[in-house]
Amino acid sequence: MSLIDKRRIAVTGIGLVTPVGNDRESTWEALLAGRSGGAQIENFDASGFSTTIGAEVKGFERENAAPCRKLLKGASRADGFALAAANEALSDAGIAPTDEDSHRWGLAVGAGMMTVDYDDLKVVYDYATEEGEFQPNGLLRQDYPADPISFCRWQSNSGLSMLTKAFGIRGYATSVHTACASGGQAIGSALKALRRGQCDRVLAGGFDSMLNPVGISGFCLLGALSTDNDNPAGASRPFDETRNGFLLGEGAGFLVLEDWDAAIEREAKIYAELGGDGNSLSCYRITDSPPDGNGPIQAIEQALADAGISAGEIDYVNAHGTSTQMNDRSECAALKAVFGDRVNDVSVSSTKSCMGHLIAAAGAVEAAVCCLAIRDSTAPVNANHQNPDPNCDVNLVIGESRALEIRAALSNSLGFGGSNSSLVFLNPERGQL
Amino acid sequence: MKNAPGKIVFTGSGIVCGSGSSVAEVWENLAAGKTSIAEFHWERGRVRRYEWGNEGWPCRVASEVKEDNRTLVPDRKLHKTISRKDMYGIYAAEQAIEDSGVLKCRDNMDAASREAFNDRTGLIVGSGGGNYQDNYDFFPLIYEANEEMPGFGRELNNRVTPMWLLRILPNNVLCHVGIRGQLKGTNACITNQCASSPMAVAEAASAIWNQEADRIVAVGHDSVLEPEHMLYYHNLGLLSKEVPKPFDAARSGTVFGEGGGAVVMEREEEALSRGASILGEFLGFGSTCEARGTTDLDPTGDGVMRAIKQALDDAELKPEDVGMICAHGNGTRASDLTEGLGIQSVFGSDIPPVTAFKWAYGHLIGAAGIVDLVMTLEVLKRGRVPAISSLNKVDDQLVGFPAQLKSLAPRSDVALVICRAFGGLNIVLAVRGLLG
Repeated sequence: MSLIDKRRIAVTGIGLVTPVGNDRESTWEALLAGRSGGAQIENFDASGFSTTIGAEVKGFERENAAPCRKLLKGASRADGFALAAANEALSDAGIAPTDEDSHRWGLAVGAGMMTVDYDDLKVVYDYATEEGEFQPNGLLRQDYPADPISFCRWQSNSGLSMLTKAFGIRGYATSVHTACASGGQAIGSALKALRRGQCDRVLAGGFDSMLNPVGISGFCLLGALSTDNDNPAGASRPFDETRNGFLLGEGAGFLVLEDWDAAIEREAKIYAELGGDGNSLSCYRITDSPPDGNGPIQAIEQALADAGISAGEIDYVNAHGTSTQMNDRSECAALKAVFGDRVNDVSVSSTKSCMGHLIAAAGAVEAAVCCLAIRDSTAPVNANHQNPDPNCDVNLVIGESRALEIRAALSNSLGFGGSNSSLVFLNPERGQL
Repeated sequence: MKNAPGKIVFTGSGIVCGSGSSVAEVWENLAAGKTSIAEFHWERGRVRRYEWGNEGWPCRVASEVKEDNRTLVPDRKLHKTISRKDMYGIYAAEQAIEDSGVLKCRDNMDAASREAFNDRTGLIVGSGGGNYQDNYDFFPLIYEANEEMPGFGRELNNRVTPMWLLRILPNNVLCHVGIRGQLKGTNACITNQCASSPMAVAEAASAIWNQEADRIVAVGHDSVLEPEHMLYYHNLGLLSKEVPKPFDAARSGTVFGEGGGAVVMEREEEALSRGASILGEFLGFGSTCEARGTTDLDPTGDGVMRAIKQALDDAELKPEDVGMICAHGNGTRASDLTEGLGIQSVFGSDIPPVTAFKWAYGHLIGAAGIVDLVMTLEVLKRGRVPAISSLNKVDDQLVGFPAQLKSLAPRSDVALVICRAFGGLNIVLAVRGLLG
């Protein structure tokens, strides 16, 4: 088979809204300092739940953060984060769609799984239940507020609709959901659209908020969340032997991706080259990762091959590292299988130790973290690690963030349902390192 | 596809919808001009835990899948953990896999080759996303907690199934088809509302193009036959009380269907070497967005026009090469008009026969595009473009628009399949069939 000449893709803009900062630099600073975003949940009264803690976005004023206030009327909480982060990414890149080139701009997003949040569900409850049983004809009551704006808010591509309208993107647009791998897969989809020449620039990212009564219920029912309610800042401790579940976060991350030559031509600042994307399906169990890493291994290897580099060039891995027993063990097994004897030369950290798990946004936010790590030659700390786990004996960045020249960085996202996504980012100056 | 390392072919297909549970059965109904849209009867207990009579409901027609879930996918354990719309995806995917014979190659392989084969076999699903009724599991809990949050949290584990989150995962079909078939390669679950499933086909082609996989199963599935969905579409003025009339002057909206569709796509070289029978070739696709929010459409049909041009360019075709168009034709006022205008602005007065199938099996939302693709490949094979049986008189604003009043032969073996969605999304697939 002939090899295709792969178009090079540059990352030229980054925007973030996370539990540790409402923009890119404040998030990055908090991650470098190892500051946790974990706290008692304040969005709603979580006192009755088995988990009362989460990593909420704090002090976010979406009216100030988003470009188009009118759109906010129909926006969910996650949509608000998306608008703000996407706006930051575009202004950072110093370029935005114009009437002339809007059809050459694309959008690829990892969007959440929420169908409705508690408040909208409660309206249906008020009109259309009797003693907790659904009575559909209640929806036909004259005064039932069947608000089209609320309906549109919960369509599977409502975030996409909002973002394309807000920024005037008229080309390829797609929304993917593979649970925790969504954000990474969205960036992979963007990479392919660019390589195929379907777009010149793509706004790619993820956004999610499951920190509401319905969202958190799903994870509480599965027993997936840490119940360290008296220690919210230390609850997420990926790879620590005493880890006991993840800390639910929320937020959004966006990258501006563009043709390398076009970025050079316009003298854009280039954070990194998006080198490769790898995907696999573990085909093991819906919620668990395979203990031997079979699944994640293939995603990582494919991403390396797609980027045209060897495992030996990876200096930093931003791990999926959810802080659940099974995930962290499976991921370490995969890293050992891929890196072999060299595994100790690779610095590994999970920034979920600070931000918690941003679900559909996680892969995109962590992709941004890899780019910032390359820019500043620093691997952010894997916070809260105190008790080594013999199953997770990789070279973790513990104690404090680590100065490190990074030739290439790997970002892993391993989702519920078994979708694994790996992305490789290359240092724009890696030839000289 | 431009710069592709080789041809990408379709080697198997699967379908389930109100008009049948096999390609042959759906074809018979299409060719006979028979619709499966009828008044629905929820009393049959198809919807869990609540009764939904027709009394007082503004929209009473839909195209329902006739078969019981348990007949479609005879796995009792699975029925406890996933929903009806997921069954449609699993059924269609496994029918397509069976039809293509693609997994049979594994039978005589040693363990290592089988692993390698599985790693190069992808699965991309277009899903409609969540349903409203999945959340009704929380109603008894809200009641028990006196609508107060602390009690809601405390009683959660006693009132709601522990598997709730797993049942509502939008990527369930991906997980289960993957596990059942050990398809371990590249994958995605696309949630682009009505454009989900053609995007799955397009992304599958793109992944084969990028050499991430040698073969991919692309699937679409959905069912929105539930009270809230129907009410909200009705309130937006999108639902008709009768069989939809694509491109007709008197059209009044769309009607929901439900079901799933799937195709197996592989590199031609490999398909030929294993002696597979080839249903057609994937030539290219176009994907555009109109940037006008969720429900608004560009009145000029610009988004449709650009998507068609992009698909033709990707497929390296000229408009006159196209033999037929399977339009989105959902029967709503704005969508059909702008789609017609978009087609006209590409083809001028020389438009190939245009058909649309939603009069037969309704609008399958997340599954719509792939089901249309499966039937378009069949149309080419049979060499006959079925008429739009509900069409009486083409909209006056679409002067000379060749929407099919009677059945015609396609003018070549190339077809375009158009699919549109909320968000102003337009996907156009260009395919070559085996002209019969």
